[in-house]
Amino acid sequence: MLRLILQRLLALVPLLFIVSVLTFSFTSLLPSDPVDLIIGDNGTQEQYELVRERLGMNQPVVVRYFQWLGKAVQGDLGTSFFNSVSVMGAVMQRLPVTLSLTAMSALIAILIGVAAGVAAALRPQSWVDRFATLGATFGQAVPNFWFGLILVAIFAVNLRWFPATGFTPITQSPWEWLRSVILPSIALGTASSAAIARQVRSAMVGVLQQDYIRAARAQGLSARRVIFKHALTNAMVPVVAVLSFQITVLLGGALIVEQVFAINGLGTLAIGAVRQQDIPMLQGLVLVMVGLVVVVQLATDVVYGLLNPKARPS
Amino acid sequence: MWEVQAPAPPVRRIQDQAGRAEMKKWITTLAASVALALGLAGTSAWAQGSGTFRYAEQVKLITMDPQQQSGSGVPFLRPVYETLFEKSPDGKPVPLLATGYKVDGLDVTITLRQGVTFSNGEPFNAEVAAANINRGVKLAIIEGLKTVASAEAVDASTLHIKLKEPDPAIIDSLCYTGGMMLAPAAMADPAIDRNPIGTGPYVYDKAQSREGEVRIYTPNPTYWDKDKIGLARYEVWELPDDTARLNALKTGQIDAGNWLANPQSAIIDRTPGLKLIRGTGGLNYHVIISDREGTVVPAFADINVRKAMAHAIDREAFGKAVQFGLAEKSFQPYGKGDWAYDPALEGVYEFNLDKAREYMAKSKFPNGFSFDMPSIPIYQSRLEALAGFFKEIGITMNIVPQEPGTLARVSRTTNFPATNLVWATNTDPKFLALRYIYKDAAYNPFKATPSEELLSLAKQGLESVDIGVRAPIYKKMAAELADEAFLIFVTNTPILIGVSDKTANNPTVVYRFGEDSINLRGLKAND
Repeated sequence: MLRLILQRLLALVPLLFIVSVLTFSFTSLLPSDPVDLIIGDNGTQEQYELVRERLGMNQPVVVRYFQWLGKAVQGDLGTSFFNSVSVMGAVMQRLPVTLSLTAMSALIAILIGVAAGVAAALRPQSWVDRFATLGATFGQAVPNFWFGLILVAIFAVNLRWFPATGFTPITQSPWEWLRSVILPSIALGTASSAAIARQVRSAMVGVLQQDYIRAARAQGLSARRVIFKHALTNAMVPVVAVLSFQITVLLGGALIVEQVFAINGLGTLAIGAVRQQDIPMLQGLVLVMVGLVVVVQLATDVVYGLLNPKARPS
Repeated sequence: MWEVQAPAPPVRRIQDQAGRAEMKKWITTLAASVALALGLAGTSAWAQGSGTFRYAEQVKLITMDPQQQSGSGVPFLRPVYETLFEKSPDGKPVPLLATGYKVDGLDVTITLRQGVTFSNGEPFNAEVAAANINRGVKLAIIEGLKTVASAEAVDASTLHIKLKEPDPAIIDSLCYTGGMMLAPAAMADPAIDRNPIGTGPYVYDKAQSREGEVRIYTPNPTYWDKDKIGLARYEVWELPDDTARLNALKTGQIDAGNWLANPQSAIIDRTPGLKLIRGTGGLNYHVIISDREGTVVPAFADINVRKAMAHAIDREAFGKAVQFGLAEKSFQPYGKGDWAYDPALEGVYEFNLDKAREYMAKSKFPNGFSFDMPSIPIYQSRLEALAGFFKEIGITMNIVPQEPGTLARVSRTTNFPATNLVWATNTDPKFLALRYIYKDAAYNPFKATPSEELLSLAKQGLESVDIGVRAPIYKKMAAELADEAFLIFVTNTPILIGVSDKTANNPTVVYRFGEDSINLRGLKAND
């Protein structure tokens, strides 16, 4: 297992290099110019040239890339084009926000998805199964930003149970933190819960027909023990693979849902950076997101190995 | 020579006519309550302020350095930075950190308020004020300081500004970011964009603020006019999403916020419990025929074509359909109530398709022509509507999408024979000439030679700082612009501030003239 972790971490180095080259190249190809935004509508050509020089944008892309890379390997991802905010500082400030939103969404997705999937699998073709299947279809079909708006309209604007916008850090008030992440997490996690429910149902139906389950039942084990200890543990193996993908989806979805709830996470930062063509910020954000995805996949492999000894690398 | 020595007049709430009587009652009640409270409790509690007021800004804050501000975001700066002058409710500059001024040709002498210190304890004096002005001139971002050659301290409380050319709007410019005074320590700080230090009633609380989300301000203990500190805490939230900002207002998370003319502000306008305040000033949307000498599109040199285009626009329908009924038709660059506004120009290019077709028939291009128009996403629907109007008279306008943020730049090039922009109606009319009229104007990329009449009026407008003298000149200039029809004004949208009923009924809420912010001096919390 340790070898697997080391292998994955080592593979991260060339991956980040390739991603950084691609991001730098693509942003350089964009037709818009951040200097225009910096100098404003009344800026002169002289100011334009001065700012370009200050930002180093009059140098070839390759030179700029290697200058950036030289600092990046030392942990300095640079400074925003627009102010003195360091990229690393901005990312680190917003990372906990997006992570807590993603984690809460994943928790909701797992709770709802596993419960619905198990319930449907225990009574195939029953009204419970049909209801769960219909719910899963609805959950996957509904766009998360639209669902978020509906949740805000009902539970924040009308009922006033939750705040309509914003995020409270858990360190400031755990209760307010919970209130601030519930609605966005439901909006974000619903689609993933649908995907998980489908996977759990499918896997559970298969497992429940296995001989060892029949044997366990014949031995007189309680239904709860058979379902949760024997069936669900094995059914969870393929679910973990889905979950890995879903967490990646949740990270991406958080970028949109953060806008609906005015949450100042990585998504809001990314959208601002794209709009402003803040290349250093974009570059840093892409690298961090790629790093996060790799870590999630690594964690999934570890959990997968724990659940299924056959899958562990020799 | 013009000289002004005046204390700041009492602020008066800007509101619609219907609410004025009720407001007077409120003010009377408040004044009585305040007098009673002061009598009973003395002034110390009032000086510290109490309660919180929450404002939402629609743009993300980029920098807290006022001299590097190229766009919106002033509500983030006002709590900390005070200007030398500010606008009175009727739009006239009145002293704030200054106590008076004298303009004599290229020499501007400003006397400064004494005994003022920055929140870090540094004294505010003429030397610091001169350093501020000189920094602004060197950075060259602020349009209003472009006529300034340099500034120097005459003595501790007298500032002298030398102009490069006559500028009757120089005092006006010092009401905005050009006149904001930064502490010497702030100016020396490379991270000034995140560490503002000014003389304002509040100080920026970096520890409590969350960058990108909310900026927190607390009372400035060294403030020179402590009675004007009415809050214990002022918050400015960055909520760029219009729906999120609307939801925050509906649920009471914010007390007020600024909006553009969009579906969400239209919702505020008709939602019980909320009110959409239409502030003074605003944005004038207009089409600019840059190639008015016909270099690329010969038809644009024909005055009949330009007049046909101006008559072909159904401004009323445009305002209702594209700007959600929140804009009004416009035929001149100034807004109603502005000192240069000329009511005689109302309806000069009223929608009249028959007349438009007559002009086209009279022109050398009766069968129409086509031209390219740059567009950014926010203007796409506007241009689609205009293209429809022009199509009716045989003119095909091809909409060419541009990257957001680049419209101003492409409009200064000869890539397009025409463009479309907005103009802040509270801007001094002298900037009209600088932007559109002079041969070297910013948005005259084809270097079209202005008519003698226009050039003469533009120059006359610079010869006096007295708006009584300047107003008739600029009215004539607006009439001449209408006659030449290379600037086709479409609609005016007022400054829109969405507020809760509590804020609407709060008598201490004073909306700044021509700005999407609330005057913090004297502002108290709603509850």
